[in-house]
Amino acid sequence: MKCNRLYPSLASRLGSVWYRHFRTYTKDIVSNGFPPFMEPLIFLAGMGLGMARYVPNFVGMSYLQFLATGLVMTSAMFTASFECTFGTFIRLEFDKIYDGMLAAPLSVANVVVGEAIWAGTKGAFFSFAVLVIISAFGIVNFFTALLTPIVGFLTGLLFAAIALLMTSFVKNINHFNFYFTGLLSPMFMFCGTIFPITNLPKSLQIVAELLPLTHPVRLGRVVVMASGWKYSLLLDLFYMVCVTSIVLFLAVRRLEHRMVK
Amino acid sequence: MPKNAIEVDHLFKTYADGTTAVDDVSFRIPEGTCFGFLGPNGAGKTTLMKMLFGMVRRDCRKETHVSVFGFDPARNELAIKHLSGVVPQDDNLDAEMNVSANLLIYSKFYGLPSKETRLRIAELLDFMELKEKSESKVNDLSGGMKRRLVIARALLNKPRLLILDEPTTGLDPQVRQVIWDKARSLKKEGVTILLTTHYMEEAYQIADSIIIMDKGKRVIEGSPRELLSKGIESWVLEVLDPETMGASGETFSEGCLSPGVRREDGNSRSQFFSDHPETLRELASRLPSGATHVRPTNLEDLFLRATGRQLNEMQ
Repeated sequence: MKCNRLYPSLASRLGSVWYRHFRTYTKDIVSNGFPPFMEPLIFLAGMGLGMARYVPNFVGMSYLQFLATGLVMTSAMFTASFECTFGTFIRLEFDKIYDGMLAAPLSVANVVVGEAIWAGTKGAFFSFAVLVIISAFGIVNFFTALLTPIVGFLTGLLFAAIALLMTSFVKNINHFNFYFTGLLSPMFMFCGTIFPITNLPKSLQIVAELLPLTHPVRLGRVVVMASGWKYSLLLDLFYMVCVTSIVLFLAVRRLEHRMVK
Repeated sequence: MPKNAIEVDHLFKTYADGTTAVDDVSFRIPEGTCFGFLGPNGAGKTTLMKMLFGMVRRDCRKETHVSVFGFDPARNELAIKHLSGVVPQDDNLDAEMNVSANLLIYSKFYGLPSKETRLRIAELLDFMELKEKSESKVNDLSGGMKRRLVIARALLNKPRLLILDEPTTGLDPQVRQVIWDKARSLKKEGVTILLTTHYMEEAYQIADSIIIMDKGKRVIEGSPRELLSKGIESWVLEVLDPETMGASGETFSEGCLSPGVRREDGNSRSQFFSDHPETLRELASRLPSGATHVRPTNLEDLFLRATGRQLNEMQ
């Protein structure tokens, strides 16, 4: 990137925002690193020991494999969603972190996009953590699944963008409950994580195709299994890139009005 | 003639809810001087400052012209912020990080290289007398230390303009003296300082020039000393309990006073202003001793006179 004499380059500005979040997150690496590894462990132990043995093989893999490969991307979704709803809201309204940042040579767009990139990074890290656990259990092959964090990153970015747009509307922190219970929980159930969406009635399948989680789960499952490649996955990728760009653009616009009066 | 760091002509700001925070304010700030904005809460001081670095959007008007080191904040806020350091009214430090990490993280926003930064941080902690606290958590710092840390943070990039928004509100007298002392030494190094405050004392200590604002408008402008000599009589007699004037209260009414004496009542006290202390002492001698007090006027009297005695709804 070209060196700008008037103020730091765009890459440097986005990087500095990322660095702020990185330092704050890694300061408590033990307590912050605990959930991404433990959550999938608990879930798989329960499902693997209990549930999975009653479910016969389907769609070319064991039920445990199906669940495990779905979990990789929902984990990225949840971490990015928490980061950019409660996390962003607290920084915005209670800690006034952005007021401090905006006094430095950063624009609102730099701060918001830098934050989304950080949430994407957390998505990559969380999906990687799930991969480590499920490959340690021999459910998938670690070495053929090494592209997983990239899809985790894009998934984190997608849900960061949506969460930031939500945050731009929210005046009371408890209103995030509507988002988590009203959108994220149903998506976790009905977007192909727990069972294939082809089991849904036709009309609901269309709804599922419109929801954002369906696409990273479908793409992620193929990438983690390193099999089942098909061209239609490009459509999932296209959906993710388009929705991320449009929603992030709107989030920046709305947060600009919130941060700069 | 010295170059102006800041030039502002006909600046207006009306918020979305319809309140006019800044109403046609113009001023020039020569480089290397300290310029103070005084006014009660809600006078528009903070809004005005925030418009200079793009944290508040100004009203779009043809006659408005704003230049900070030749840059217009509406178009080039980043260039302005790169040349400035801002000490906001509230300490918005990263409470989760320790003192030196706060400075290190903030230095990245300016794109400062790590090696240079470590030296700069050590230098600033020394300058702001926080050396022993470099590994302390922000939450363990006293109010005065937090304030000094915010000032150190604003100096990381060696700014040419330092914006201080009520830098010493709520701090004890010793810390205030330290902060004023630092401000003066920065000014000597050629840093332009923009200050908002409602302490007259503070403006008198560090500002070369002040504007008193009220309800978004400029009320008066000048150097603190000049304003005192021109804006208000030199002496005041204060009667803290007007009841003591008792039956003779009549003789103290405006019409009966000697020429050049002005009476003002408010906040359950009466004040008599005059350029001649003898006149006031003579007046005082007619009242019970101990009930009166004759002293030179200060900026506070001027401020109260300029902005009116009634509290406005924002205070």
